[in-house]
Amino acid sequence: MVDRVGVFEAVNQAISWALRLRVLAAFSASSASVGRGPGAESLTGTGVGKMIHSLFLINCSGDIFLEKHWKSVVSQSVCDYFFEAQEKAADVENVPPVISTPHHYLISIYRDKLFFVSVIQTEVPPLFVIEFLHRVADTFQDYFGECSEAAIKDNVVIVYELLEEMLDNGFPLATESNILKELIKPPTILRSVVNSITGSSNVGDTLPTGQLSNIPWRRAGVKYTNNEAYFDVVEEIDAIIDKSGSTVFAEIQGVIDACIKLSGMPDLSLSFMNPRLLDDVSFHPCIRFKRWESERVLSFIPPDGNFRLISYRVSSQNLVAIPVYVKHSISFKENSSCGRFDITIGPKQNMGKTIEGITVTVHMPKVVLNMNLTTTQGSYTFDPVTKVLTWDVGKITPQKLPSLKGLVNLQSGAPKPEENPSLNIQFKIQQLAISGLKVNRLDMYGEKYKPFKGVKYVTKAGKFQVRT
Amino acid sequence: MPYLGSEDVVKELKKALCNPHIQADRLRYRNVIQRVIRYMTQGLDMSGVFMEMVKASATVDIVQKKLVYLYMCTYAPLKPDLALLAINTLCKDCSDPNPMVRGLALRSMCSLRMPGVQEYIQQPILNGLRDKASYVRRVAVLGCAKMHNLHGDSEVDGALVNELYSLLRDQDPIVVVNCLRSLEEILKLEGGVVINKPIAHHLLNRMSKLDQWGQAEVLNFLLRYQPRSEEELFDILNLLDSFLKSSSPGVVMGATKLFLILAKKFPHVQTDVLVRVKGPLLAACSSESRELCFVALCHVRQILHSLPGHFSSHYKKFFCSYSEPHYIKLQKVEVLCELVNDENVQQVLEELRGYCTDVSADFAQAAIFAIGGIARTYTDQCVQILTELLGLRQEHITTVVVQTFRDLVWLCPQCTEAVCQALPGCEENIQDSEGKQALIWLLGVHGERIPNAPYVLEDFVENVKSETFPAVKMELLTALLRLFLSRPAECQDMLGRLLYYCIEEEKDMAVRDRGLFYYRLLLVGIDEVKRILCSPKSDPTLGLLEDPAERPVNSWASDFNTLVPVYGKAHWATISKCQGAERCGPELPKTSSFAASGPLIPEDNKEREQELPDSGALMLVPNRQLTADYFEKTWLSLKVAHQQVLPWRGEFHPDTLQMAFQVVNIQTIAMSRAGTRPWKAYLSAQDDTGCLFLTELLLEPENSEMQISVKQNEARTETLNSFISVLETVIG
Repeated sequence: MVDRVGVFEAVNQAISWALRLRVLAAFSASSASVGRGPGAESLTGTGVGKMIHSLFLINCSGDIFLEKHWKSVVSQSVCDYFFEAQEKAADVENVPPVISTPHHYLISIYRDKLFFVSVIQTEVPPLFVIEFLHRVADTFQDYFGECSEAAIKDNVVIVYELLEEMLDNGFPLATESNILKELIKPPTILRSVVNSITGSSNVGDTLPTGQLSNIPWRRAGVKYTNNEAYFDVVEEIDAIIDKSGSTVFAEIQGVIDACIKLSGMPDLSLSFMNPRLLDDVSFHPCIRFKRWESERVLSFIPPDGNFRLISYRVSSQNLVAIPVYVKHSISFKENSSCGRFDITIGPKQNMGKTIEGITVTVHMPKVVLNMNLTTTQGSYTFDPVTKVLTWDVGKITPQKLPSLKGLVNLQSGAPKPEENPSLNIQFKIQQLAISGLKVNRLDMYGEKYKPFKGVKYVTKAGKFQVRT
Repeated sequence: MPYLGSEDVVKELKKALCNPHIQADRLRYRNVIQRVIRYMTQGLDMSGVFMEMVKASATVDIVQKKLVYLYMCTYAPLKPDLALLAINTLCKDCSDPNPMVRGLALRSMCSLRMPGVQEYIQQPILNGLRDKASYVRRVAVLGCAKMHNLHGDSEVDGALVNELYSLLRDQDPIVVVNCLRSLEEILKLEGGVVINKPIAHHLLNRMSKLDQWGQAEVLNFLLRYQPRSEEELFDILNLLDSFLKSSSPGVVMGATKLFLILAKKFPHVQTDVLVRVKGPLLAACSSESRELCFVALCHVRQILHSLPGHFSSHYKKFFCSYSEPHYIKLQKVEVLCELVNDENVQQVLEELRGYCTDVSADFAQAAIFAIGGIARTYTDQCVQILTELLGLRQEHITTVVVQTFRDLVWLCPQCTEAVCQALPGCEENIQDSEGKQALIWLLGVHGERIPNAPYVLEDFVENVKSETFPAVKMELLTALLRLFLSRPAECQDMLGRLLYYCIEEEKDMAVRDRGLFYYRLLLVGIDEVKRILCSPKSDPTLGLLEDPAERPVNSWASDFNTLVPVYGKAHWATISKCQGAERCGPELPKTSSFAASGPLIPEDNKEREQELPDSGALMLVPNRQLTADYFEKTWLSLKVAHQQVLPWRGEFHPDTLQMAFQVVNIQTIAMSRAGTRPWKAYLSAQDDTGCLFLTELLLEPENSEMQISVKQNEARTETLNSFISVLETVIG
């Protein structure tokens, strides 16, 4: 049945691509000849082979604290190449993600102060491996509440069980959190107490039902007493603001995360007040792409539990409101060992909502020895080793704008810094999607009951940088 | 960790495992086993309790089973005799009513890396392939590949392969993908799994039901399929359309690559696809994951090679934020440099100007080089920025600016005047070899426009004794001689001193020889010096500095979504060289004959060869004489990579043949005397990457044909083909 739909869609789309080609061909029929480059014939081996050979987890001080091998054992010494690259990079975090060694490639990710280093022996699509490693880290985060060395060491047995299920013979297998959780139950304090009384295990005794459903992302026979569907619209503003306060670059990265706890096989459709706002959308595989293309409606049978429904970008700059401004004057005097530092932060284009959770981080130049500052709100710290100034502001009240000012002590005799530091700003606005995106309605088909629905909006600062 | 007390720990655990009280208490028993596993993962040798652990596997507790299986897989290779005992339990578990237990047992059995296990796992795997639980089938399908590896890759079991091919129709999507993975490994030597029309169409229809990993891999497998007709091609493209918008960047890239390869005869479609993935690619470039950003940026650069300006309207996406890691910043600067156009040049240059004073010297230098790159088109603006940078009097900035200037005056002579005005004063801020060389070169070539050039060079001459870099001394010699030609009065004296120093006191031979050379040249007469040093500057090597021409999409489509864009092709080749013989599929890429080099190639072909510097051109190294012993050993250890029969008629002169081979740098190791029947010869050659070609020629006059067998110590089909075409040219 589903195959037939596929074929039908294929026919539909066939028209679209063929048309597209014809139109294009018509455009350039006069000039272009269908040329073939010299490389046209030389499609060599696509190199699909075993993917991930081994995985090493390394902490920031360079200890390999966990290793797992899927095919044969690769000696730890392969990580020496990684350490070498780490030494070469001035900062630990600057290790390039792909390193070649005489016999292997090392593809690594850096997450929560840990390196996940995978050993690869054949040509692979690098994005594939990187995504997978992130998925491993996400799973640890999901299971243990944090992805840290301590958490992994404490739960080492579960970690091995997880890795065993996630990858077999070097290929990704079960990576969906809800399916994994049925195979291996996450540790909770309550459960470990119960387990110790009843002697029951952390492992599901039965096969995950999700594996028997004919929709791969949803298990069959889901039942809830309260049927609920929640959507979180989360938008992050990436922006670079220049000295004078004008916007160099601004863009919104948005996601809609869903938490769906609905019985049976619900078929949902979610519509927006202003769907044309979204520039670039990428979808969870459950979404019917055709419906979106034609009607701009998200129609889908949802997975059970938490998942990311879509992610999108709004990049036309006039649509991106900048909710805060910073007045700053940072100066270093020539031939003197001090400088002045004065910043004030205030609200701007915040649509009447409170801006909260503001933190300002500044990497001061190397010659700065110390800072003597006073603040009207919140607290600040300056780390003389890393030269990082952190100002925890809290929320802005427009009546009294928070400011931080005072003196900067410089190393005497050193030349004055070439450039002023940039300010990195974090903030959060509840109940607002800064792009103006609004959910219109959510309808459910296929099931009889009435679900409880909810939408939450939040706007945050992403990479929000003010140059001074 | 108590590495020292490991024996005590083993003893204690052994005791605990044997204790009947503990065995009776499920929880305590499992806790002891967990401790064993924990020590094992910390690198302690726990193989001492193998016997006890095998006993512990006979339990209904599935966690305990899992832990014991994990343990057994780790230590089975060390204790093969004991592991055989464990196999019994595992076999029994393979027919447990619980599918989870069946799957676990089968997987563990296949992962026991020890000799002799194959005979025990064969039957359980075959049963597993027909199990009604998909979980077990998934395990069994991959088990086939593991079993094949245990057999030492020797024989391929035809029945098993057929079974796997038929399992491609399984209703569980992961079983389908695992089948592909397994077949690919089993059929590695035959060129991997064959994707014919029914399989391709079947996979295409199943695509939407696969998880993202499955989709990414299937897209990769589909690259092997060649649609028969245009309609079929477009049907496939349409089916795949929605994957260009997948939320997984891996799938998007996989789909893009497949589109590019399938549509290789339709450049419009290719361009269209690249326009459509612009959004997802840009999103990946600003992804939360730095690693994804990096790889996406590498691919953006790849696309820009063919479609310059493709991302120009999004140039602000590539502005660096200071908290990003270095490797991303460097990529972004490169990208920025390539998408400059009339509208954004001002903003991009301002941005780059900001990076030039970054705290990190490497990044600052990269930004300056980038400005230098842009200067080839927007000379005035860039030269002005670069001149301002000199005013900062920072060593690491000045040296790079001067190097940029040197490259710039070659390519854009119109900026010479501005550069010459900027130079005075730089010498105080340059300490490194590269920077000094660049400055000295500029002073030498354009010294007549820089009033104080002789005095700057004089300082260098004064300090030549303490100069550590020979390259700087060489440059100084040349520069001073050049300047002497245009301003003899100011230079004569110090040129004399420098030549004296280089000939009499210098220890570096190259510098000394150069000094002597110039001295003798001066003896010939000033006109001759002028003729040689100041002859027209039509040096063909300058092509290196110029922008590489636009490359067609097809030249890199097959590298898309691989590691090549991260590394660059040349580098990639040297890495993969070390991989040893991977696989030489039946579909050898058709490298055209001009890739082969050697004096036998006509002139016009040579030119084309220069246009394609990294297309795998074959360079045979002269005088690579192998000893007969070494040849024999290598010859016996290698497999025949290529065999071919050439017709042979007429007179036969081994000596002429040997001469001809000598000309193309193929050495003759041994050869039968003329007239011997059958006549044999053994030849060897080596190319510049160190790849050896060993050849046997066998002439049987009665068949009037020459049989050629070539062996190669690294399986690289392009070079092999080039080598064979060289052979053919000589023999044929």
